[in-house]
Order: sequence, then structure tokens, then C-alpha cells
Amino acid sequence: MAVIICSTPTKPLRAVVPVKGLLPLIAPSLVLVLFFAIPMGMMIGISFQSQTEGSPTLASYSRFFSNDLVLAGLARTVVMSGLVALCVTVLAYPLAYYLARATSRWRTVIFALAIAPELAGVVLRTYGWLIILEDRGFINSALIWTGLITEPLPLSKNLFGVVVGLTHVILPFGVLSLLTSLQGINPNLEKSAQILGASRLAVIRHIILPLSVPGIVSSFLIGFTMAASAYATPALLGGAGFKVMATMVYEQVLFYLDWPFAAVMANVLLILMLAAGFIGSRLESRLHQKLHL
Amino acid sequence: MRYTALCAPAIVSMVLAANGHAETLIVNSYGGPYETIIRERIIEPFEARFGIKVIYDAVGSASQDYAKIKATNGRPGFDVVVMTASQSLEGCKEGLLEEFSPEEVPNLEHLSSVIAGVAGPCGAVHEVQYLSLLYRTDKLAERPNSWNALLDDGLKGKIILPTFQNVMAAYLMEIFSVAHGGDLLENIDPGFAAMAKLAGQSIGFEQSSSVMETYLKGGDVWAMPFWNGRAQLLVDSGLPVDYVLPKEGSIPLVATLNVPKHAANRDAALKFVNFFLEKSSQEAWVTGYKVGSGRIDIEVPADIRAKQITTEADLKALLLPDLAAVATRLSAWGERWERDVVAAAK
Repeated sequence: MAVIICSTPTKPLRAVVPVKGLLPLIAPSLVLVLFFAIPMGMMIGISFQSQTEGSPTLASYSRFFSNDLVLAGLARTVVMSGLVALCVTVLAYPLAYYLARATSRWRTVIFALAIAPELAGVVLRTYGWLIILEDRGFINSALIWTGLITEPLPLSKNLFGVVVGLTHVILPFGVLSLLTSLQGINPNLEKSAQILGASRLAVIRHIILPLSVPGIVSSFLIGFTMAASAYATPALLGGAGFKVMATMVYEQVLFYLDWPFAAVMANVLLILMLAAGFIGSRLESRLHQKLHL
Repeated sequence: MRYTALCAPAIVSMVLAANGHAETLIVNSYGGPYETIIRERIIEPFEARFGIKVIYDAVGSASQDYAKIKATNGRPGFDVVVMTASQSLEGCKEGLLEEFSPEEVPNLEHLSSVIAGVAGPCGAVHEVQYLSLLYRTDKLAERPNSWNALLDDGLKGKIILPTFQNVMAAYLMEIFSVAHGGDLLENIDPGFAAMAKLAGQSIGFEQSSSVMETYLKGGDVWAMPFWNGRAQLLVDSGLPVDYVLPKEGSIPLVATLNVPKHAANRDAALKFVNFFLEKSSQEAWVTGYKVGSGRIDIEVPADIRAKQITTEADLKALLLPDLAAVATRLSAWGERWERDVVAAAK
């Protein structure tokens, strides 16, 4: 027999006072202004400075857009980031789906393994890939030893090596963003569709994929922006001929000491990421409209 | 009572420190074997003589340290820093580094004018290395005596080059330029042509000297350009390697002590710079780290003198580019390197 005990509080309850106005935004705004807006403003200012002239100038911008080597670096950055974002999203999707639906005790283990790469530093992980991919590395040595190849395959010091390394680094972020989205999809929708005769493939195509569009876009954007701003992995796995914006900014700041030109590169990189974010959000809202979500 | 007795010395030392009795100096330089040797040969004797406590900061390369000085407008948090002559000239031009005077750093007058002029008024030259040709003694039948040995067919696929962001690359190009009929600055076409050929010989490019070393240690590389100080460390480690100063000559790496313009402990910093330039300190440094010196009056063993820059004749035999002029051309040279040299390696 169940017993229900009713009691009254000994002290009168304090009324919950709703937070009004912009008060909660003060602390984060201060942090953003101090550590993001002001430094960004300074960097924009530096981009108009000249190493020789005192007055503001567009010389560094003009140099950026007329230099084929720099523009090739920008194009390389876009291609590399797009490929990494694609690989991260495609690889993270099935893993995130399994984690969203699984109920066995293995779920925790697989979730831990999925985010485990983040426990090691990015430089450590990149050196790990270098040991595996380089000409005298594990894969090439094994293939040569077995007689399958006579010359090492070009697995590092190129785009392939960088995409592999960055995908490994960024994959956990893709899994987490997709997992949140997939967990929000009611499993009964899938069951209902299957009861009504839909095949497993049709359920994925017509229910799961459309409803997880926000997660897919979010995973792609995270992958793209993290890859575009990555320095260590392209520097170590890309080799001398593989220059991307982040490595070129580093060179201008530390070796050539041309800070205005470095600031221009950093600004262009920022605009590239903002553009990717804008296109991603527009794409997401269009897909929502198209799918009547 | 017991607690009072325990706390009293700590409180006294805090008060003394606050009153300036425990003077400190922050020296920024390199880690590894460099740190061990500088601590033993320079820092400990300096502390013993002046009673100044040195805090050694091994974080950051010379270029990162210079960027820190520039970003903080001469207040980087350290008082003395080890950089290069190029950074000394740039920092002086930008007003970020202290200009040394013979009144405050008397030992400057003992430096050879040949090398002191290279670093300008803000750099105290405490060490001179040169770009050497480092090779595996167990792989090469003969000791190479010319930079052109790197172009021999026998070394195809057995050399490695620095990326252009390692200053060795620009200097090697200039050396080849002079060796092939050009000069150090204006007519550098022969240098780039030779570097393009050399790129075809190489297994690739690496920016870090320590990574370049691994190829030589592993036997994948048999010869490469390398600063002779680091080359000597490899010789001393027992590897089957040796290095030469080829007959065409070499360009030095002029290492300097610098004091940021707004260093917190300026007076102690100037004392340290002067101490490092003393005859006995230079002898201790040259014999300990096995590098050359800008002082030509030092007395060192014959085996060290044979391999290091220690005399006026050694200094005059070096190729000395105008580093300020090189700095203005570096960006254009870097682009040409990408087009002519890196492309030739593919």
C-alpha cells in the first residue's frame, strides 16, 4: 500500500526573481570585448599599416590579391578544409547514430573511444600520423616488406596526409555535434515508418537524414573552420610545398616580420570562416523549408 | 615560538627582496645542451661574482622571442635574450632594443670590428658559428671540401635542405651564388639556379634543424648544410659524422645578446652582457659549447681553434652579407624559392 506524505515547508519559500534586462550578458560581453573585439580591431588596424610609410595604406591588401602564391595558398586552404569537413561528417555520422540509438553497455566504451583522441595533444597525434604515413613510416615499410610496392607511396608531405591527420583531430567534434542532433529525433518515427512498410534505407533517406540536417551542417561547419585555422597538422604533415593560410601567417609574423601582411591574411581567413558560417546557416534554413520541417 | 623561528627567515628574505637586496635577472635563451653549458660556464660564475640571481627562461625560439618583444613594445618579461644579428638590427631600427655603449658594456671594445659591425649597436656578439657542410664519414669515401660536392651524382637522394623559413636556406643560396659567379645581394641568379639543381638532389625540405638531424642519424641523408655548433654536438655524441668549412667560404650565424628597451632589470642585464663578453667567459663558452667568438684575443686549445672562428683571419675569410639589405629582400627571395627551388624538387 502506497503512502503519500504531505508536508509544508518550515520556512516561507522565496519568490524566484526573474533576471531582467541585459545583466547576464555583462560578463561574457566583457570577455568578448577584451579578448576578441579589441584584438581583432587592432589586427584590422595593423593590416592598413605599412613597413615603410606612416600613413594608412591598402598596399598589403593589394599585394595579397595580386600574388598568385598567396592566392594558391587560399585556394589550398578552402579545398583542404572542405575535404576535412566532408570526411569528418561522413565518418562521424554512423558513429553518432549508433551512440544515439544504442542501449548496451558498449555505448559508454565506444563514446569514450570516440572522444579519446582529444585526450592527446594535437602535436602528439600529428607526429603519430607522421610515423605511420611518412616514406619510411609504418605503412610504407610494411608494404615494401611484403613486396606489394617497391617505392614508398606518397602518403605524407601532401594534401592526403594533412586531410588524414586533421580528420583524426576534428572527428570527435563532428561526432558530438551530430550526436546532439540525432538524439533529438524521436525513435518512434523510425519504428512507425518501418511498421508502415518502409525499408531501412527509406527510413534513413526520408526520416533520419532530413531531420538531422542541422547536425550535418553544424558538423561540416565545425570541421571546416577548425581545419582552416589549423597550424600544427598542415605544418608537420604537409611539408614545404603545402602552404595554407595558417602556416603563411606564421611565416609572415615570425620569419619575414611583415605584420601588416600577416594581418591581411588573418583577416581574409576570418572572412572565409564567417562566409562559411553564413552559407551554412542559409543552406540549413533552405533545407528546412524545402523539407517542410 | 617554533613557528616564529621558522617563519622569520622567510619574512626577512621577502623584505630584503622587496628592498632590492636579492637582485634578479631573467635570461631568455635555448634549452637542451645549450642550457646545461650556459648555466655551468656563464650563469653560475656570474651569480657568484655579482650576487644576482639569474632566472633562466628556455621557452621560445629567437624569432618567437623577437615577436614577443615587438608585441609588447620592448617589455617582454625578460631582461636579456639571445637572438641573432638580423634581429638585433631590426629591433634597433624599431627602437625595441637597448643600444649598448662602451661605458656601460666596456668589453664591447674587445670585439673584432669586422663582426661587431654586423650586429649593429643593439647586439653584443657573444658567439659566432658558420654554415658548415656536415656529412656521414661512414658513407662518403672522401672528405668533401667544396659546396659543389652536394651536387655530385653519388649524393642524389641523399641530401636534405632547409625550408626557406630556416635562415640557413637563404645563406646557402647566397654562398652558391658567390661560388657560381654571382654575389651576395644583387646578382643572386646563379645562387637560385644552383639551389634548384640541389633541390632535385634532395629528399625534401625540413624547417627544423632537429628534424634534419634525424635524417642524418638514421642514415637516409649523407650530407647537408648545418650550423657548425650543432654539427659539433653531433660529432661529440659519437655519430660517424664530421663537418667542414668548404673552400668557397661560408656565412656566419652571428649570435647576439640583447636587452629589450624597457627591461625591468636593465643594470643587471648590462652587467650580464659585459660579463659574457669577458675574455675568460668567452674562453669558457668557446671551449664548452665549441663555437667561435667575436673576440680574437682569447686563448683556446689548438683542436678547437682549428674548427672554430677565433682569429681575425677566420673572420675576414667569412662572407658577410649586409643583413639589413637581406631583410628587405627576404620576402621576394622566399617567393622565388617557392617558384624555382621547391618546384624543382617535385
